[in-house]
Amino acid sequence: MTIRNVRDHGQRYRPRMACLKKVENVVLEMQDPKTGVKSQTQRLVITTIPHAITGEDIVAWIANRFKTDAAEARAMGTMMVAFGYIYPLQDHKRLILKPDTSLYRFQTPYFWPAQQWLVEDTDYAIYLAKRNIRKKGMLELYEQEQYNNLYKWMNHKWDFIVMQAKEQYRAGKERKKPDRVVFDCQERAYWVVHRPPPGTVSAMDYGHDRMVDPNMEEVKVCIMFIQQCIMRPRVKSSVSIGALIKYTTTYKEHDPFLHTCLPSSPWITDDVTYWTLNMPNVETPTKMRVERWTFSFGELLMDPRGRADFRLFLKKEFSGENLAFWEACEDLKWGAAETMKEKAQQIYKTFLARGAPRWINIDGKTMDITVKGLAHPHRYVLDAAQTHIYMLMKKDSYGRYLKSPVFKETQKKAVAPESHRFTRRPSLSPIILRQQEEEQKAKLAASGPVDITQLCRFTAPVPHLAVYTGICEAQSTASPGLMTLPNSAACPSPISVAIDSTPASERRFDGNGGPSSSHFPSIAEASVSEEEKQPPAPKSRMALSLSRLLRRGCNAPSVFASLSPKCAVASGGGKVQPLGVEPLAQPQPRRIANFFQIKVDIPPECRIYPIDSEDEEDDSADTARGGVKEIICPWETVTKQDGAG
Amino acid sequence: MSRWRQSVVEIQTRKRQVNECERAQAALSKVTACFQQMATSLGSNMDGSFLREELEETRTVAHKICSGLHRRLLSLLIEMEQGQEDKEQVERHWVIFLSSLENFQRDLKKVKVLQEIFPLTQRKDRQALINAGYAGGTSEVAARAAMVQTPWLSVEETASLDLKNHIVEIDVLLEEMFQRVNVPLWSVEPTQEAWVEGISTQDGGQEEDESLEDIMEVEVVSQNSTSGCCNHHNCKVGCLLCLLS
Repeated sequence: MTIRNVRDHGQRYRPRMACLKKVENVVLEMQDPKTGVKSQTQRLVITTIPHAITGEDIVAWIANRFKTDAAEARAMGTMMVAFGYIYPLQDHKRLILKPDTSLYRFQTPYFWPAQQWLVEDTDYAIYLAKRNIRKKGMLELYEQEQYNNLYKWMNHKWDFIVMQAKEQYRAGKERKKPDRVVFDCQERAYWVVHRPPPGTVSAMDYGHDRMVDPNMEEVKVCIMFIQQCIMRPRVKSSVSIGALIKYTTTYKEHDPFLHTCLPSSPWITDDVTYWTLNMPNVETPTKMRVERWTFSFGELLMDPRGRADFRLFLKKEFSGENLAFWEACEDLKWGAAETMKEKAQQIYKTFLARGAPRWINIDGKTMDITVKGLAHPHRYVLDAAQTHIYMLMKKDSYGRYLKSPVFKETQKKAVAPESHRFTRRPSLSPIILRQQEEEQKAKLAASGPVDITQLCRFTAPVPHLAVYTGICEAQSTASPGLMTLPNSAACPSPISVAIDSTPASERRFDGNGGPSSSHFPSIAEASVSEEEKQPPAPKSRMALSLSRLLRRGCNAPSVFASLSPKCAVASGGGKVQPLGVEPLAQPQPRRIANFFQIKVDIPPECRIYPIDSEDEEDDSADTARGGVKEIICPWETVTKQDGAG
Repeated sequence: MSRWRQSVVEIQTRKRQVNECERAQAALSKVTACFQQMATSLGSNMDGSFLREELEETRTVAHKICSGLHRRLLSLLIEMEQGQEDKEQVERHWVIFLSSLENFQRDLKKVKVLQEIFPLTQRKDRQALINAGYAGGTSEVAARAAMVQTPWLSVEETASLDLKNHIVEIDVLLEEMFQRVNVPLWSVEPTQEAWVEGISTQDGGQEEDESLEDIMEVEVVSQNSTSGCCNHHNCKVGCLLCLLS
C-alpha cells in the first residue's frame, strides 16, 4: 500500500505555491458571462464543443482586468496555462499562451492543481494503463519508461491499477462523444502539467518542501533571530561605498596580500615565524595586531589575545562581570543544545538574579524581557541583555581601555619583527618542474640515440656489464617455452638480452618512466644470486620472447621493491638520482633512461602480479615489423644498460 | 494437518466466499470509476443539484459494497490458516481492496473540497461555474454505477453517512485493517503482466474508437484553413460574434 503519508502538503510546506489560490480566483472571474472571457464553439469533424477561447482574448481580458500591458498579460496567461488552469487545444504539450487565434479551454476544477495533496503515482499509473488500452501499446517513449518504472514500483497493486483503468475506460465510454473528447483532453492536459515530458520545464516544480512547520514557536524564534541578523534597511550606494573605502583604508596595511607581511610571508619564504608570532594566545602580540585592536571594539573582542588584555583591564577596574556575562551568552548561543537549559539557569543565577555574585547592570525593561524569556529558555533568550552589555562595554569601557596603562603597557611591549632578508630561492612549483620535465623529454625524443660509451660513465660501472653478458649467454640456449615465467627476480636479465639484440637505431623512447639506472646493478646482483630458470629463446627468436617475458615475467617487483634503497647506493655517478629517494624530481635520470629507449608502461608501485596470458598480437605485430620495435616492460622504473658495451 | 480436518463443505463455503469477494471487488471498481467520472463534472457548467444527487447515490452504493467487502475479507483473512492454498489469492484481494479504498478516499476528499468551493446555494454561484466544455450530463454513468449487483447489496442494511463522515470512516477502516491483519503487502504478486491490457481485445467496438490525437488533428487542419472565426466557408467576419456558426 502507499505508505500512509500523513504529511500536510498545505501551502506552508510548499513555498511559492500560494499563488494558486489567487489564480483560481482569477479563473472564476473569467467565467462571468458578462464580464468574463468571450467563448466560442470549437468545431471538430464529428461534433462541436463549446467554450473554446482564443489566446488573444485571454490576453486582452487580463490586460484589461489588471490594467497592464500586453506583454505582462501574456506572461500571466502563460503562467495560468503552465499551472493547468487553462489548457491548449492545439499543440497540447507546450504549455504557453499564444496571443493569436489558437484555442484554449478551461480545465475542470477536478483537475485543478491542488495544494492540499500531492499528485499520486497511483493515479498516473491508472492513467497510463488507460492510455495503453486505448492506444494499444503505442505510448510515447517517456510514457513507456514511466509505465515500466511504475510497474516495478507498484507491482503489488498492479492488479488494482489495471482493473481500475479498465473500469474507468468503460465508464468514460458511457458518455456522449463530445463529452468524452472533452474529458480526454482534460485528463491529458492534467498529466502534461503534473508529469511533464522530459526536457520541459514544469511550473509545478517549486523546489524543496519545508520539513518544518514555520508556524511552530521554536522555529519562529529562530527565523526572527536570523532575520534580524541579516536585516538591513536599504542603504544608499554612496553610503555603502563610503563604508567600503573606509574599511580598505583602515585595513590596507594589515592585509598580508596587499602589503608586505612582517617578518615574511610563510607561503613565499617557507618560514613560519609570522604564524608563530601571531598565535591566538601569544604572550607578546605584534604591533600590527595591537593596532588592529584600536580599530573597533569588535576587533578587540574577536582576537583572543585582545580579549585577554581587555579582561585584565576590566579586572583592574572591578567591572569584569560584563565581559564574563557577554562570554557566557556567546557560549549559550553557540553551544550544544542539551546543556542549554542548565547554562541559561546558571547565567541567571550568576549574573541576573537579585543579589547575584556578579550582578550586571541592565535596565529594567531588558531585565523584564530576559526574565520572562528565561521561563522557556532557548538559544537566543539572553540576546537583548547581551546586546545591552555589549553596547555598554563599547561605549564606556572600551574608550577607557584604550587610554589605560594596561593597554599602553601592551603596546609598548608589542614586538615589531624585522623583515626577513632571505637569499634562499623558494622551491619551484610542481607545475614548473613538470614543464621542465616535458621539455627535457621533448628534447631527447627529438635528438638521436646517445653515444653508448658516454653513457657508461653515468651508469653503473662496467664490471656489471660482464655479468649481464654472462647471463645472457647462459640463457641463450633456453627454449622459448618459458612463458610461464615465475615471479622471480631473475626476470630483469632478459632486458639486457633485449638490449643486446636490439640495435640502437631501433630503439625509441616513449619514456614515461623515470627509471634510475642504478637499478641495473642491483638487478644484476639479484639475478646473479638467483637461479636462472628462464632461458630465453635462441637469438633469432629473442626478440619475440623478450617482449613476452618482459610483460609476463618481469612482473617480479619484489626485486624492484628492494631496489630503491639500493638505488642511492649504487648510483655512484652523481647525476643519476632515483626518484624514490629525493622528492624533487630531477630531469637527469630520465635522460639516462631515455637512452635505452624502451617503452615502459607499468604502474610505479611494484607489486607481485600474477602472470597472465598477455595478448600475443602485439607480439606478432612487432615481429612482423622485423625486430623489436617496442618492448613493453611491465614496470616503470627500469633503466637499461647496454650490455653489449 | 488441518486440511484433513476441513470437511468438503467447509472448503466449498470458503471458495464461494472468495468468489463473492472477487465479484464484489469488481463491482467496487466499477462504482468508484463511475464516481470519478461524475466527479470531474463538479464545478463545471454541468454541475447542479442533479449531479450532486447522483454522486450521493453512487457514493452510498460504494459505501455499502465497501462495508460488506471489508467484513468478509477480514473474516476470511483471520480464519485463514497457514499453508492454505488460496492464501495468495485472498491476500491479493486484500491488497486490491486496500488500494481501491485509498483511491476512493482520495476522490472523496477532492469532491468534498470541490463542493466547498462551488457551493451552488445561491443563484450567483452558477456564474462562477467553469465553462469546461461539457454539453451532456453523466446520467449514463450514474446508471452504470447503479446497475451494480452484489449479493449483500439489497440484503444488508448499512447506516448511510454523509461525505465528511464517510472519509473519516474509511480512515478508521484502513487503520483497523492494518492493525488486525498482518499481510506483507509487498509480497503480493499481481496476476497481470505489464502491457497486457493494451493487447487484449475484450473491449468490443474499438474500431470506432478513434484516438484523441486523430480527432484533434483533424480539427487543427480545418482550423488553419479558415480565415474567419469559424469553419463556415462564407464567414469572413473576424470577430467572435459571428452568427454563421
